[in-house]
Amino acid sequence: MNSQFQARRVAAFWQRGMARRRFLKWGLTGAAGVAAVAVGGFAVLRQSPLDSQSAPDWANGLSDTEYHLFDRARQVLLPVAGTRLLNSDQVPVVRNVQRTLSYLDPTTRKELGTGLGLFDNAAVFSHGCRFVDLEDEAARAFFDRWGEGSVIQRTLASVIKQLVYSAYWQDAATWPAVDFDGPVSEKWGLAYLGNAPLPEAPASDSSRGSQA
Amino acid sequence: MSEVKWQASGLNVHQASDVTQDRLNLDADVVIVGSGAGGAVSAYELARRGLNVVVLEAGPYVPSEQFTERFTDSLETLYQDHGGQTNSSGDLLVLQGACVGGSTVVNGCVCFRTPDFILQDWQRDFGLSELTEGELAPYFDEVEKNLAVHDNGEHEIARHGQIIRAGARQLGWSVKPLKRNIRQCGLTGHCLSGCKSERKQSMLVTYLPWAAAYGARIYSDTRVDRIVTEGGRAAGVEATITRHDGSVAASMTVTAPRVIVAAGAVQTPVLLLKSGLANRSGMVGKNFACHPSLYVPARYPQPVHPWRGAMLGVYVDEFLHPDKGGFVLEDGGAGLVELTMAAEPGTGEPFMDYMANAKYLAGLVTLIHDHNVGRIEWDGERKKIDYQLSDVDFPSMQRALKAAARLHLASGAQEVYVPASDRRIIRSEADIDPLVNSLANQPQHLRMVSYHPQGTCRMGADPDNSVVAANGETHDVPGLYVTDASLLPTSIIVNPQITVYALATRIARLMA
Repeated sequence: MNSQFQARRVAAFWQRGMARRRFLKWGLTGAAGVAAVAVGGFAVLRQSPLDSQSAPDWANGLSDTEYHLFDRARQVLLPVAGTRLLNSDQVPVVRNVQRTLSYLDPTTRKELGTGLGLFDNAAVFSHGCRFVDLEDEAARAFFDRWGEGSVIQRTLASVIKQLVYSAYWQDAATWPAVDFDGPVSEKWGLAYLGNAPLPEAPASDSSRGSQA
Repeated sequence: MSEVKWQASGLNVHQASDVTQDRLNLDADVVIVGSGAGGAVSAYELARRGLNVVVLEAGPYVPSEQFTERFTDSLETLYQDHGGQTNSSGDLLVLQGACVGGSTVVNGCVCFRTPDFILQDWQRDFGLSELTEGELAPYFDEVEKNLAVHDNGEHEIARHGQIIRAGARQLGWSVKPLKRNIRQCGLTGHCLSGCKSERKQSMLVTYLPWAAAYGARIYSDTRVDRIVTEGGRAAGVEATITRHDGSVAASMTVTAPRVIVAAGAVQTPVLLLKSGLANRSGMVGKNFACHPSLYVPARYPQPVHPWRGAMLGVYVDEFLHPDKGGFVLEDGGAGLVELTMAAEPGTGEPFMDYMANAKYLAGLVTLIHDHNVGRIEWDGERKKIDYQLSDVDFPSMQRALKAAARLHLASGAQEVYVPASDRRIIRSEADIDPLVNSLANQPQHLRMVSYHPQGTCRMGADPDNSVVAANGETHDVPGLYVTDASLLPTSIIVNPQITVYALATRIARLMA
């Protein structure tokens, strides 16, 4: 199957899916949601130079293309130039994303994989290359357009952003730059109060005579 | 009656890791499904009257000292579906606790009595003539006393609350300190991750240990698969005990003439549907409401540090009554991960600028009086929360959002971030109407969260349009009771934990 034919097929499927709202099947992780296209996935529409690079050994919960997608999203979503913020390459962002995805049930996880493939490949229609190969500004503009687009576009943009944002900011190394205190109870030496004492018997018990 | 054995700390819970046989058969007077607000209160009330009580909790037992005060960890360990429970379209995160103690472990401690105008609706529309303000007042009094409910003191109103309160006063809006169930608040701001030092008076440190003191047996990691009946009466449950690695540790049967389902407004109807019980009215799972809320952050010129101090300090009740809008605004603290979820300030540098200046943010939580338009379904494999904000409720959401923006601006905010999927930043009063009016009631346009699912086994006098009678017993199955927020016939606008405690107390005493 050539790319053009496949592109038409995907576009037709996508429009049909939106018209029927069949693509909506969700299981959210963290905050935004997990996209799902109602039927199976599709092959990539255009090869990327990244396709020849395998994901690291630890990324066994992600496909190679998912790994590259989240790593590219990390780069474009978390710019730190000119700020005190920690560079995202010093934070295990994609590893944290993988951990979050590991909690999804298998059906939802499969659906998400299809949605991620859609996000990556849809850029071929507008830019002639996959999302992972877009320049930084074009990739950010792609996110913005999808955030203002159809339901499935908004959903996928939100899902990827939330997964990446959460994966970065949950890491304690990112906190000092913004004065976030993180866990404090032990640091402050707060004493454990334990269980509350047993309450007094209510007045109604005396009339019933049923207090233990 | 055996000796009362109150423990000063901790809780004796039978966990999957304790199981040494592949089948357990228990007998009890009452078996309770769920250990949250409704289950724990029921357990205590019945155990202290000498009944043999077994409590089954699907989630794990996580002692307070294991709370990490890291929100992502907490979502994974303490929340339903590891924090991933949503409606079908994924634009509404439905956060419920899924651990021993249930949602009371991870809530924000906010306590409201059921508004009287809501009770009047229930009396008028559902024949619940017994549930008057006067009837419920002694129950409210008692649970509030038991749980150290009090108005926030001044030290419990964090910087973000002080700012919001000043703005509300400038607008002439009624603003009050929230009531919370907490002793000697540690002001950590980590309520949603569980209270590590056991100051929040959740079920984990109150009614559950009290129930255990009177002999109630508590099992964690134990999911009830089916309610068993004999001759049309409740007769017990069948359950599965599952290890944390997902493997089955044992099957369990509890034989009991009375079954209380208190698994929360999502799981309770799922269990009834799986069991094929109590659904003559066809109302099991229907009438789902959830107080869909928005967290509206805004940037201020001075540092706020929204993660510091008590998480919830004050609320604006100016619009509480449906005639005035039917919504509540609560000032709300937040940590970094929560702040990433709230707003869409733009991709890349705008977002990182928003987060780099997170200490200048303060937030408002909106709660609306939504209609009971959703339903919980079970397809044989997975539950489904079929809920979209209705077109009737969308204007309420917009009004609440506008009021939040107005309040932020009056409080001195420079930028208010509309919690939508696209970039909308309000910088002046003139921005409010165009940016809010142009929102569409479509899936994935607003970033909504629900902490208050309710209504899916509603109470009522008429067996043809309700599931449970005013005494908590299902119309169809003698001996089968419900004591959680599934009962509520309508949404109640305000945080429902005190309502559930009071109703559960009343129902348990009527049972005893």
